[in-house]
Amino acid sequence: MDRVVGPAGREQLTRVTDWLSRAGGRLADDADRLVLPAVGAVTALVLAVVFYYPVWTVFVEAFGNAAAPVRDVLASEFYMGAAHGLFAHPARVPGDVLAWLASVRVHAGWSGVLPEVWLSYPAVRKGLFGFTAWQAALSTLASVALGLPGAYVLARFEFPGRRTLQSLTILPFVLPSIMVVAGFVATFGTNGTLNGVLTALGLGKVELLYTLEVVVLAHAFYNAPLVTRMVASAWENVDASAVETARSLGASPLRAFRDVVAPQLLPALAASAVLTFVFTFMTFPIVLGLGGLQLATVEVWLYARVQQLDYETAAALATLETAVSLGLTYVYLRYEARRAGGGAANPLPRDRLFALDLGDVKGVLVRAGVGAYGVAVAVVFLAPLASMVLASVGGLSDPTLEWWRFLLEQQAGSRTQPSVAVRNSLLFGVGALALALPMGVVIAAFSARGGRGRKVVDAVLMAPIAVSGIVVGFGMLQSLVFGVELFGYRVSVVGAAVVVAAHAIAGYPFVVRNVAPMLAAVDDRLVESARALGASRVRALYDVELPLVWPGVLAGAAFAFALSIGEFDATVLLAGENAYTMPVALKRYLVDRAAGPSVGPAAAMGTILLAVTAASFVVIDRVGGRYRP
Amino acid sequence: MRRRNYLKTAGVGVAGVLTAGCLQVEQGDSEGTNTTSGATTEGTTTGTTSEPDGPLRIATYDSFFGDEGTAGRWLKEQWEADHDTDIEYTAPSNGINEFIQRKQQDVGIDADLFVGLNTPDLVRVDESLPDKDLFDDLRADLTNDDDVKESLEVDPENRVVAYDTGYITPVYDSTDVDNPETFDALLEPEYEGTLLAQNAQSSDPGLAFLLWTIHEKGTDGYLDYWEGLLENDVRVLDDWQPAYDAFLAGERPIVVSYSTDQVYYNSEEELPHHQISFLNDQGYANPETVGRFADSDRAETAAEFVDFVLTDEAQANVARLNVQIPATTTASLPEGYAEYAKEPPEPVTFTYEELAGNLDEWTESWAQLVASN
Repeated sequence: MDRVVGPAGREQLTRVTDWLSRAGGRLADDADRLVLPAVGAVTALVLAVVFYYPVWTVFVEAFGNAAAPVRDVLASEFYMGAAHGLFAHPARVPGDVLAWLASVRVHAGWSGVLPEVWLSYPAVRKGLFGFTAWQAALSTLASVALGLPGAYVLARFEFPGRRTLQSLTILPFVLPSIMVVAGFVATFGTNGTLNGVLTALGLGKVELLYTLEVVVLAHAFYNAPLVTRMVASAWENVDASAVETARSLGASPLRAFRDVVAPQLLPALAASAVLTFVFTFMTFPIVLGLGGLQLATVEVWLYARVQQLDYETAAALATLETAVSLGLTYVYLRYEARRAGGGAANPLPRDRLFALDLGDVKGVLVRAGVGAYGVAVAVVFLAPLASMVLASVGGLSDPTLEWWRFLLEQQAGSRTQPSVAVRNSLLFGVGALALALPMGVVIAAFSARGGRGRKVVDAVLMAPIAVSGIVVGFGMLQSLVFGVELFGYRVSVVGAAVVVAAHAIAGYPFVVRNVAPMLAAVDDRLVESARALGASRVRALYDVELPLVWPGVLAGAAFAFALSIGEFDATVLLAGENAYTMPVALKRYLVDRAAGPSVGPAAAMGTILLAVTAASFVVIDRVGGRYRP
Repeated sequence: MRRRNYLKTAGVGVAGVLTAGCLQVEQGDSEGTNTTSGATTEGTTTGTTSEPDGPLRIATYDSFFGDEGTAGRWLKEQWEADHDTDIEYTAPSNGINEFIQRKQQDVGIDADLFVGLNTPDLVRVDESLPDKDLFDDLRADLTNDDDVKESLEVDPENRVVAYDTGYITPVYDSTDVDNPETFDALLEPEYEGTLLAQNAQSSDPGLAFLLWTIHEKGTDGYLDYWEGLLENDVRVLDDWQPAYDAFLAGERPIVVSYSTDQVYYNSEEELPHHQISFLNDQGYANPETVGRFADSDRAETAAEFVDFVLTDEAQANVARLNVQIPATTTASLPEGYAEYAKEPPEPVTFTYEELAGNLDEWTESWAQLVASN
């Protein structure tokens, strides 16, 4: 039966809907207000369960018996080199230093043409820590030298395929080290591609393998892309109008670069350099595979101590390693906080790379430089990657499809099926991305505001990249996998969701370090205006700040995804037998003897890994570019 | 059987939501004794003689069972054809260390047998667990272990039994260098920059080669010998795989590997590139053994399985598929295989007693010497 709603009823209805809509508005406001604390709380909880607690169970060993394990390491000449004196016998240090200075000799001579002066001094033992820091510093320099021109080319030139190339920059990041070692042997070995080319050109062979140089080069292979990607995205965020203003006020192009552009690139450059140093400080399989035990780093010893179940020394080494990495991160964060530029989404115009005007001498020279850089990139990046792809078809001399057939057979029903590995990798990667992006952006928003105390917290939040992977894996095993006794029950936390959380934790620091410097550069008044007009903090972050720092978010997303795809240790520990990913499958194919001692099957799986990851990067950048908020 | 009673729960508080489906809560009992917990969710049999249902769980390394045509797969197929109990393999990423840690922390052991334990592993097990038994007295329950070679009896407490062995030797490319034949020859200028070895801290063949040099040069002479090797530019890589890859790539003509190398490379063109060098007419034996976890509640079935592994037929097939040498004196290898799976004239190896108390120090001193160079 129809009911006619009378005027009174209608009025009542209006009042009810009014109240409802007001309440709804308040609820939405409340929800808005709750978003940031909620994301923060989830971040803290995930960090505590999957990272800080497991790592703590290991580090606590280092502090047993009044930190004796740490003191033992510090006082050991093997670990600390000459610096061990500071801890072993501090009273003798001034005397030792004087004695050393006294034996420094200045030599002068006459070489026949010119006078020669040189210094001789007794060698200073670097020790394991000293050598580790030394090779990390060299690797950082090499990565910056190789990565920075790439950022310039990507940010300042337009050419066909530029966007795709930019998306693919960090491809080396996902490659398992064992494949990089194999690729480098194939490229730089005695009978490698490089020597083949040199011989064909009538030049002599170079012996690069098992030297510090080739280790440094391999570190650059992994980390130069980091420099390129981070600096390029900062470069794209430089406000073109600021440069134009400087130019119109009479600044030369060089001056405008120095005063306007460079200050906005430096934080990204410094951040990528710090990340590179921290990574290469904890390097492990690359040094042993390409350099040998003679070039051992701290991480090599850490691994060996863990294998021998010598927890105390392992924990002491890890503690000192982390102290160095976190200390450096803190120094960097203090520096980052002092820098501020005026970023905006009005990027500089790009020159066309292939538009050559022979009359323009400078343009010709610059393009010649870009060409030379392209050759270096081809040798360092493309040749090792190409040699892996080539190894999957048996190389040029002995071409075969045997290894691809092998993968097909595996697919037909075996313990490790390639398609399952691809699916798991993508699922974990997307999951990690979905978790790492909000975590990273919220922490970046926190990090972008100043304050000394805040920088300490900020540095501690970077810990996932500063703690050795071996320690994280070990801690996860004895806490998450073995479980913790709670109220008479043993609770263990394993499975796919935990793998995703572990991957997100490894990835979010990249989101933070890409986004925070740009966020710091956003004009505070923009956010304040939005807030004054009634926007909640999260609205302001989403509607005002995020669009301005979107290139950084995209770069961070690519890194987070890449880390998840390439991650091995935590995946093996937490995922269980059947949730294997591409790197796990690759490793299984490598050790399984049924195919003989060939890298062929692993190379074929590596090729799939490359192809899937490359496609994913392109999709992330394209989709991300379209949905800029 | 208590270990099988998992109560899988999801949604316990916030942590439960986060880790949906992967939070495992297990009835707590921190002592590794054989008391049965009261609460069960599945039907289980309790009693002294009958064993619980479910598969026999074997922990081992990846390559033992990963593929078709591995020793593990062959054993599983043959066994399951005649028995009601299935075989279930797992490969913990940290190998035996994971079980040592579990035992140290009184966490349950979720396996019945461990396959692939060598002598140094056993020494580490006992040194890390002075007051606990990880493995039980499996040998007492075996009937088939009388023919195991004397030289492969590594456990003075008679717990574990060898099921195959490898011999570590240099493999050399005879088109590039001559057979060095002796340890001392490797110090000669002729062999400068020719040898690839592995890190004894992390690699089995690497450790075996180091122990072999200690066996030959003595505890007071081996570091001097290695000093000489280092001066002659030996390279110590992290593991067998990268070292062997570099050897295959022609980077260096000698690599520390296994005496069964020619099983893979026996064509007319390949053989000259894959020659075995039994230095001083020796080879270092690295027997692989199997042990039964003291916490296993499938003791009988586990022993029965090991007896099966020690039959002549299983020995021949395990050795062939694992590219090793059988552990028993009675097993015979197939014609084509025996020709290429070489055995040294004089196998040498350190016994458990010789390694106990020394292993870590020997390795650490050696590693510090190499890393300081």
